[in-house]
Amino acid sequence: MVSMSQERGRENLKRYEDINARVKRGDAVVLTAEEFIETVVKSGLEKAAKEVDVVTTGTFGAMCSSGAFINFGHAEPPIKMWHCWLNDVPSYRGLAAVDAYIGATAMSESRGFEYGGGHVIEDFVSGREVELRADSYGTDCYPRKYIETSVTLADLNQAVLLNPRNAYERYSAATNSTSRTLYTYMGVLLPEYGNITFSGSGQLSPLYKDKGFETIGLGTRIFLGGGIGYVIGEGTQHSPQNQFGTIMVKGDLKDMKPEYLRGATFSKYGTTLYVGVGIPIPIINEAVAASAALSDEDIYTNLLDYGIPSRDRPVLRKVSYKELRNGKVIVNEKSVPSSSLSSYKMAKQIAEQLKQWILEGTFLLTHPVELLPAYREVKPLNLRRAEPKVGDVMTREVITARLTDDIKDVATQLIQKGIDHLPIIDEGGKLAGIVTSWDLTGALAYGKKALAEVMTRKVITAREGEAIDIVVQKMAQHNISGVPVVDDENHVVGILTTDDISRKVVGRRFT
Amino acid sequence: MRLRLTYPHGYVQKPILAEAIIKLGVPLNILEATVNTKKGEIIVSVEGPEETVEKVVQFFHEKGVGVEKFTYILEIDEGKCISCGACVSPCPVAAISFKPDWTVRFDQEKCVGCGVCVQACPVRAIKLL
Repeated sequence: MVSMSQERGRENLKRYEDINARVKRGDAVVLTAEEFIETVVKSGLEKAAKEVDVVTTGTFGAMCSSGAFINFGHAEPPIKMWHCWLNDVPSYRGLAAVDAYIGATAMSESRGFEYGGGHVIEDFVSGREVELRADSYGTDCYPRKYIETSVTLADLNQAVLLNPRNAYERYSAATNSTSRTLYTYMGVLLPEYGNITFSGSGQLSPLYKDKGFETIGLGTRIFLGGGIGYVIGEGTQHSPQNQFGTIMVKGDLKDMKPEYLRGATFSKYGTTLYVGVGIPIPIINEAVAASAALSDEDIYTNLLDYGIPSRDRPVLRKVSYKELRNGKVIVNEKSVPSSSLSSYKMAKQIAEQLKQWILEGTFLLTHPVELLPAYREVKPLNLRRAEPKVGDVMTREVITARLTDDIKDVATQLIQKGIDHLPIIDEGGKLAGIVTSWDLTGALAYGKKALAEVMTRKVITAREGEAIDIVVQKMAQHNISGVPVVDDENHVVGILTTDDISRKVVGRRFT
Repeated sequence: MRLRLTYPHGYVQKPILAEAIIKLGVPLNILEATVNTKKGEIIVSVEGPEETVEKVVQFFHEKGVGVEKFTYILEIDEGKCISCGACVSPCPVAAISFKPDWTVRFDQEKCVGCGVCVQACPVRAIKLL
């Protein structure tokens, strides 16, 4: 690993000092990544790599792992804030008396999805007054127990944007195979592969333009939220070997602009913050130049089915950013409309702004103190405690009926056994339908006699190995209170009802 | 072109729309239909030149059905819009697209007023009036 990190970042085409000397003199060659791609096409990689000093990048997307550290200053009499809200959004208070962290995804206790930590940050940067409310238990040194006032960004001692994970190198695209509309962090996904959403700026993506992580590291000076920021390390879930690198960044909120920090809502998902990030890539060697020259057609990602509510979503196909940005992607021989969630228009604007700063000589490049890791294992969270599955909770002694059974006998069964759901099986013992006490009430009301007329044929089922939470969500979506559990051959092996769950699972979790 | 047809009480049971399609030979696409005890209201779209639209308008007038040209009014706050594109692919009628400079563009003429874009917009820049 040591030799690897020494090999990365070779300055055999240009040294940082020389680039900065040219920036100061005003004769550095600075291009946006889009312009650099064109230059390489025109004059070849070798020539472009020699002539161009810096390539600027940009991205403007929803970055949930974002937030700001704030110091409010002390009131008279002073308070050790215990719970603290900014515009009714709870902030993290496990710090010293008047320090807090407002996270982008924290949601307002009164406005829910429509206003969150991201919006608080945008309001601060816009110069608006923000309501501050905090309580305390009171101590000898901090006697005050409650405070309610308003603050502006100018009032704060420190307001530091510090984002644990930003600027994903690329991101998986999303679609939905199910028959209902999904509301996700990838936006609105229409049923039956109705649309595709994606994120990231592809050929302008800061981290993809240095995919070998040869120039980006601790101390890299960047464009952050319209001001100056720094990379302070790898971001959480950094996975550079898979081209899913991320960065942790910080910058002074007081110098940022609301245009580049926007509070946002993903309906029925939550709140977040759109963050503008731009990184200058010094063309120190040919490998860096080759990476900076990659265009949307060279950058691929996986299209995932968000209809599968699992950590391991199936990959439907590989797709390039070019196809995604064109707005039409072929899935299962059908042309599906695609669109981004991050703004390419703003990404271009950021790359252009950063280029201007460097050309003006006001933004100098920094040599990273330490490069980001080029390899990181990404581990899932393994569950060490046994968690009940459907098979552990379901009722195995399931009472069923045959298609040919008399409706009156079926009704008698339900009453005598005290149950609400009765799976109907065919001659082969396979699930054919389900009848509930409600269906039988309907049969009585409308004078229906045959079981086939009354039963529901499109049965929502569960499998023994399925997680309880997934089945609970399924039942809520279909507004039902029980599901037959079937095996691979569609034989009924049990039944799971809300009654089973409330007795055997919920009791265990909350008592 | 979209038309809002208003059927007075008692007209709802008459197959006037079907008659219009058969007699005029103009395809009319029903986008929305509401019928209640007081009246019926249908939003249809008519494809074709102005004379065709006029012919259709004339026909419904003669039958005693109220006709008015109809557009859904989407209000986009351009100061708020970040041109992200979250509303583009969910739009079922491709009324939202990108300009060559990647600014989001809305086509009022195509809009059917479903409101999916309102929910899809992360910065709440769209209102359906």
